[in-house]
Amino acid sequence: MAVSGKHTIMSSTPLQVLLYLNGWYFAAYFLAESLMFVFKGLMLPYPTANLTLDVVLLLLFLGLESLRIFYGWKGNLTERSLAMFVSVLILVLCAVLSVYYLLLQTFVLRLEFILNAVLLCFYSLEMLLGIMSISAFSRSKVY
Amino acid sequence: MSAVGNLVPARFLTLTAHLVIVITIFWSRENNVEACLPLDFTQEQYDNEDTKLVVALSVTLGLFAIELAGFFSGVSMFNCSQGLLSLTAHCSASVSLSFFVFQRWECWTYWVIFALCSVLPAFVEILLFIAVFGLKKKPL
Repeated sequence: MAVSGKHTIMSSTPLQVLLYLNGWYFAAYFLAESLMFVFKGLMLPYPTANLTLDVVLLLLFLGLESLRIFYGWKGNLTERSLAMFVSVLILVLCAVLSVYYLLLQTFVLRLEFILNAVLLCFYSLEMLLGIMSISAFSRSKVY
Repeated sequence: MSAVGNLVPARFLTLTAHLVIVITIFWSRENNVEACLPLDFTQEQYDNEDTKLVVALSVTLGLFAIELAGFFSGVSMFNCSQGLLSLTAHCSASVSLSFFVFQRWECWTYWVIFALCSVLPAFVEILLFIAVFGLKKKPL
């Protein structure tokens, strides 16, 4: 394989660390939220439509988050700006869902508030690093 | 190497769990403060105990900041001994603090949990900081 000069690495290590830890954190978050919905469904006076909406949105959140982390991971490692851009777009949707679970859902537990606040901290850092990576990848003269 | 690969997320998750429960106690500490006081207490006694608990929780959060700084900067992320110590300390702290909240333990028990499970990992973290930045050792 021909090596044509030095290639400085533009992948962002902090972003990779954050994506890795975010994946694990979201797995724990999903488990905790599912158990909390079981608790809330039994203990609190939920109208059925609201509970169904919240559970379906949680499943949607799982799908979106998995997609976002996959695109961010691969985009960062292969230094392609399109994948990173898709990841940042999905991050906006995920942030909206997180704010819904933080503030707007029918019954908000203190624990849910704190878990979603930590998730939003992750998202803000990842958005910052994601945008910086997109600009770094687009600026490079690889081809 | 796969042991290290699983130690890092496990340590992060137990650290986060401990942090979450400390913030929860900070938020809803009336029940626990009332558990420390005799059945008929004055407002002054309540404020006294409340201040002590707030101080304990704030110092815990400060020590968390030290440990998270060490973890995210890479100083102790791949150090297996610190990872294992941190994992066990924060896991036992999370369980003990859950008991503290639900069973309404007295205030002095918080200081015991604090000394064993917050001070110890933070102290080792500071030692590692000194080793890496002061003595120029490689952070493993």
